[in-house]
Amino acid sequence: MSRQAPLVIDNGTGYTKMGFAGNSEPSFVFPTVIATHQSASAGSSNNSGGSGARAPPPIAGKPSHLASKRGIEDLDFFIGDEAVANSKTYSLHYPIRHGQIENWDHMERFWEQCIFKYLRAEPEDHYVLLTEPPLNPPENRENTAEIMFESFNVQGLYIAVQAVLALAASWTSSKVNERTLTGVVIDSGDGVTHTIPVAEGYVIGSSIKHIPIAGRDITYFVQQLLRDRGESAQIPPEDQLRVAEKIKEDYTYVCQDIVKEFKKYDADPYRYFARFAGEHSVTGRKYDLDIGYERFLAPEIFFNPEIYSSDFLTPLPEVVDNVIQTSPIDVRRGLYKNIVLSGGSTMFKDFGKRLQRDVKAIVDGRIAGSEERSGSHLKSSGVEVNVISHKRQRYAVWYGGSLMASTPEFYNVSHSRVDYEEYGPSLVRRFSVFGSAV
Amino acid sequence: MILLESHSVIINDVLTDRFDKPSRADIQFVDYDNVRFHLSTPSSKSQILLSMGIQCWPDLVKYGAREHLQSEYEGYWLSEQDTEPEYNVSLIIDLEKIPEGVDDRLALISKLAHLKSTAMSSPFLSAFAEQASLQANYKDAAGAQAKDLGEQGETKGDLKIVRYREEEAIYIQASNDRVTVVFSTVFKEETDKVLGRVFLQEFVDARKLNALQNAPQVRYSNREPPLEIRHLPGLHNGEDWGYVTFVLFPRHFSNSSQAQSSINRIQLFRDYLHYHIKCSKAYMHSRMRYRVAEFLKILNRAKPEVAAERRTATGRTFRTR
Repeated sequence: MSRQAPLVIDNGTGYTKMGFAGNSEPSFVFPTVIATHQSASAGSSNNSGGSGARAPPPIAGKPSHLASKRGIEDLDFFIGDEAVANSKTYSLHYPIRHGQIENWDHMERFWEQCIFKYLRAEPEDHYVLLTEPPLNPPENRENTAEIMFESFNVQGLYIAVQAVLALAASWTSSKVNERTLTGVVIDSGDGVTHTIPVAEGYVIGSSIKHIPIAGRDITYFVQQLLRDRGESAQIPPEDQLRVAEKIKEDYTYVCQDIVKEFKKYDADPYRYFARFAGEHSVTGRKYDLDIGYERFLAPEIFFNPEIYSSDFLTPLPEVVDNVIQTSPIDVRRGLYKNIVLSGGSTMFKDFGKRLQRDVKAIVDGRIAGSEERSGSHLKSSGVEVNVISHKRQRYAVWYGGSLMASTPEFYNVSHSRVDYEEYGPSLVRRFSVFGSAV
Repeated sequence: MILLESHSVIINDVLTDRFDKPSRADIQFVDYDNVRFHLSTPSSKSQILLSMGIQCWPDLVKYGAREHLQSEYEGYWLSEQDTEPEYNVSLIIDLEKIPEGVDDRLALISKLAHLKSTAMSSPFLSAFAEQASLQANYKDAAGAQAKDLGEQGETKGDLKIVRYREEEAIYIQASNDRVTVVFSTVFKEETDKVLGRVFLQEFVDARKLNALQNAPQVRYSNREPPLEIRHLPGLHNGEDWGYVTFVLFPRHFSNSSQAQSSINRIQLFRDYLHYHIKCSKAYMHSRMRYRVAEFLKILNRAKPEVAAERRTATGRTFRTR
């Protein structure tokens, strides 16, 4: 019998993406949230205390003898969108924080429903590909493997680093002519933007940088701009965030020169200002508003963070350059050549072009400087800077996973059930990369 | 939540989305029991091709699955030579010809999402029909003698076998007053075996509750296959094997909607069982984690405090406690 498609599950802090290998889009994308029937007080102690101070799992009746434990409280939960819909009567928990699994009880139950209710797959028949953030402690990998093999009896498991999968996803771009696992991944989701250098499939942990500006900040910034121009008076207060998000997603783009852009808008506002038509969700009142400078100012906070925050002032291109400069010298050329975008907040039009130009400017400036300092004796052959954007950017990590898991080599590199029984959970400490995967 | 749904969530979601806004698709996914789906738009955006590959298709065809599906999906069904290669069933949905009303559309989506359960229901339906005819004949032929014949007078239909997974099968047999459904299931792991046995025993015991008097009768036998199917060749005896027997009485399938819901539930029985075994393992794990955390607390309390001598700025010493 032919093997069944592996399951690809990418559990992120905000959203879980899951589906079957070989597809180009995840079948399900929903918030990584679980709604349980625990009392609110137990929930709050969970959040603050971590794994130490935790309310015991609910038991019906007296805990003394087994026969009385007939309750089904442990099955009474929802995940994803359904959890959000039921948030009035249930308490919501986010099992993943900062990319890492914090609450294993909740995560185990979250996976239960992911696999059985949504994917409708018998895990005993499938291989599973899961993702992990860079710098995930090996204990977490072990815990994950324990759950997958012991509770779900999966046939095999591979835990891939998200950044590496994002690199693999970039191979679909027409700009890529050699398939390499060396490059810098700029992963920008809702909460944080990461810049992660990867050399030959291994993450250079010491050089990873985080930028506290991401999708949510852009939305807030759009909202703030609208308020400043007095447009937001039209929008019902409860819809403001949603409208700002919609504007961010549908109308914004990255400009190449902010001053020119302002002039362009001022000279011919009718051409560049867009109209947004909305409807009040309760009363049905129609309203519309002008969308002006925020069209190009919103994503600009990546390049000129000072217009939005006063805490973090380093522009993204500079961070990228820093990351590469702190990496080992022999991979720097490869890193400059392959800067890959992933995540929804890198989807702005011309984002890649602008980033490439700015990084290139920094690099060229430095080369020119060192040429001058050498007294014009040494001539550099130049450094190639390439920013790669592609169609699958939004779910790049998932797509990379789907790509990897659909190759025949996947079965060789993943940990099989037999191996697990032989070596135990420490098996997953061994890390095998898809070397020359495809 | 506790129960599994009988329809495919992916078909449901994708079609709901595509009915609103036609766009390209090429999605492969699976369902329980080695069922593969392929949803694609081969020619144009408005033509959705939904193909299904079922492992036990040869068995299902024997019990009239093709005719059943053909009548259920009238107007969408593709004939055998047009069926997508490597799949058993293909349906084509033309988005320009779907019904306009919201309710009609929802009904259509739900019908398509139930493709697998519809296909699997044909042996059950034919068993139900057989039961009805047996019952009618039994009365006609036996008539007054029925009393004299007693228990031995029951007539039986053919035993229908659906090998829905590689090693596991459903056996369905109709007789004049009931339909018997036997599941064989195998547990691959030691823990699963124990939990499975407890679970199945629990099913048998649960029926003793007053509230569940109308539920179908359930019997469970471990190691040895039940008498209904014992004569079949190639049955496994062993620790890993469990046989679950459901006895459906005519009241469980008297009208078509009731019959359909009985079928949907019974079909999912194996998945339900394995799902719950996994859930109970997860529950036990969470209890274990809680215990470990508690024990760690005790251990931490038991740590001897290091009483080190410290010096103040003036040079005097003191002990920390």
